[in-house]
Amino acid sequence: MLKIENLHVRVEDKDILKGINLEVRAGEVHAIMGPNGSGKSTLSNVIAGRPGYTVTEGRILYQGRDLLRLTPEERVWEGIFLAFQYPVEIPGVNNTYLLKAGVNARRRHQGLPELDAMDFMRLVREKAKLVELDPSFLARGVNEGFSGGEKKRNEIFQMAVLEPTLALLDETDSGLDIDALRIVAHGVNQLRSPERAMVLVTHYQRLLDYIEPDVVHVLADGRILKTGDAALAKELETRGYDWVRKEAGI
Amino acid sequence: MSAIDRLRAQAEAVFARHGVPAPRLEHWKYTDIRRVVAPFIDHASPAASAEQGGVPNPLRDLDAYRVTFVDGRLVDGDTLPDGVRVRSLAAVLAEARGEEASRLLAVDERAPLFNGLVALNAARACDGLVIDVADGVCVQKPLYVLHWGAVGAAHPRHWIRLGRHAELTLIEHYLSDQEQAGLTNGVTRLELGAGAHARHVRLQQEARRRVHIGRLEARQARASSLVSHSIALGGAWSRVDIACTLADEAARCRLDGLYLLAGRQHADHHTEIEHGAPFGVSREMYRGVLDGRARAVFNGRIVVREGAVKTDSAQRNANLLLSDRAEVDTKPELEIYNDDVQCAHGATVGQLDAQQLFYLRARGLSEEQARQLLTFAFADEVLAGIKPPEVRRYVERAAFGKLPQAGDIASMLQQAGGAA
Ligand SMILES: Nc1ncnc2c1ncn2[C@@H]1O[C@H](COP(=O)(O)OP(=O)(O)OP(=O)(O)O)[C@@H](O)[C@H]1O
Ligand SMILES: [Mg+2]
Repeated sequence: MLKIENLHVRVEDKDILKGINLEVRAGEVHAIMGPNGSGKSTLSNVIAGRPGYTVTEGRILYQGRDLLRLTPEERVWEGIFLAFQYPVEIPGVNNTYLLKAGVNARRRHQGLPELDAMDFMRLVREKAKLVELDPSFLARGVNEGFSGGEKKRNEIFQMAVLEPTLALLDETDSGLDIDALRIVAHGVNQLRSPERAMVLVTHYQRLLDYIEPDVVHVLADGRILKTGDAALAKELETRGYDWVRKEAGI
Repeated sequence: MSAIDRLRAQAEAVFARHGVPAPRLEHWKYTDIRRVVAPFIDHASPAASAEQGGVPNPLRDLDAYRVTFVDGRLVDGDTLPDGVRVRSLAAVLAEARGEEASRLLAVDERAPLFNGLVALNAARACDGLVIDVADGVCVQKPLYVLHWGAVGAAHPRHWIRLGRHAELTLIEHYLSDQEQAGLTNGVTRLELGAGAHARHVRLQQEARRRVHIGRLEARQARASSLVSHSIALGGAWSRVDIACTLADEAARCRLDGLYLLAGRQHADHHTEIEHGAPFGVSREMYRGVLDGRARAVFNGRIVVREGAVKTDSAQRNANLLLSDRAEVDTKPELEIYNDDVQCAHGATVGQLDAQQLFYLRARGLSEEQARQLLTFAFADEVLAGIKPPEVRRYVERAAFGKLPQAGDIASMLQQAGGAA
């Protein structure tokens, strides 16, 4: 589904990603772990198409196509979803109506009829229930005045409504209380299916107790230094990252 | 010489002394309108164009008392309910003398934001509304005043008094002939009795060849409140001055405004709020969206007098530049003569927020849609306070309706709720 080959990315004259290779197949859940500033968000952002990053080498294929040629919105319409590490507040723009516009833009792109207000509200209520989002949040401005944890939950709610093919969750677990973590994990697990794939960026094993990953990567210094299975995450939790660096000769 | 003639001559003399404001005056340094105004100064207002051909009839769905002015002359008006006395200025002046004449026409050169054009209005105003709302009378429907500029100069002058605990919403809608150049130079004065509540909306949508000068003066008695919205969408040059005096305890005012400019439009807002008594509250939010080579000026002056303890005042001016050739000059001026006050102010000039733009695109909006949505949302924060809702919707359509995806975008706004 997603194939990243020798990806080099520069931000403002600084090389951040220095040759990432990563393949995610349909049905898989990958976890990316790594120290602060190692480039995890950079990688997620580049996949989602955030402006400001220069790809100096390498390529990203999504469903066999050159992803880097698509605008951010085209990527959404093609099924990519990024849950932001820091969701943005947009006062004055309604949470639900924004989502409706997004869902319908995607449906138009797919040649499907748009959802009318009733069908959409049914979908929204169902998904809000799934992630136990208080319906009052639906009526509010996008993330406006939401607490840190509420913003993260809203991201998962949006993901549930948009039903992406490839979901990138950038530290969605950070700042969540224990109940919220369970709920978010439940939302993610509900979405798991043989046709979908997920990439979870996280610092904590805790999330992976709820969402068992198929593959775990360690990203440090702009490279993937080690790849393993769920056991690797547990090892990182107890031993930190230094040994991975040493093993990789850095 | 009658009292009226004498007052007119005095006003004319004051105007002659001050002239059209020039950029050497601090408050006019960005706004040199001498050349564009000149053709309309010496030229007397044309005789009332009795036929109302071409006068539009907007906001038809608004349930309101309607009054229409053409080139500064009253041509048509509904009857207002008991307790509201409405007279035309022309009629009042025809028989007024002494005190009333001087109340309506005297020029006070020490008034805040005074300039030559204020005197010119007093000298040349041929008509306006003189309204007295009796104590305790709440006028349920808004008073909608359409000012149509057909050709030449108009100097409408409205003198409005609200008795104790009276309420009135006044909507002044300025429109003009697309083909004609012209000048509007209007003055509206509001006197609010104790506990009175007034709403004032200036919706300025004049044609691109017209100059709009508007002045709102308000004097507020104890615990009265004023909400003012000044919306500048049209005109080649527009200048709105608002001078609000909180003369007695616990008076409140909210002055909000939006200017939405493109091409070479210029819009200028100067406000002055004088806190003259304790426990006054003032709130101000002006926002601007500028495209092309548009130019805007915002100057918000707050004066807190020595005795005006426990004053609570906040002023914000935010500007969104959609083009790198658009320009804004924004300046708060605070003059505070006592320590026991809370005054906050802030001004920003910037572009659309890149993070917000990306967030919207990452939820499936096209770039263009995302840009328009953020622009709308920014402007709509001002419009959200306009009542009644028909007027707000009208302004939203006037402001954004020309954009290709206006309907879709309005449906995503938080409070318009166009979709729901
Ligand atoms: N716009 C930018 N300008 C300059 N440097 C940037 C920019 N964006 C990212 N960086 C730098 O790139 C590096 C990688 O950042 P990134 O956000 O990808 O790290 P991360 O692995 O997600 O870290 P964290 O675990 O703290 O979220 C950091 O050193 C960061 O300072
Ligand atoms: Mg990060």
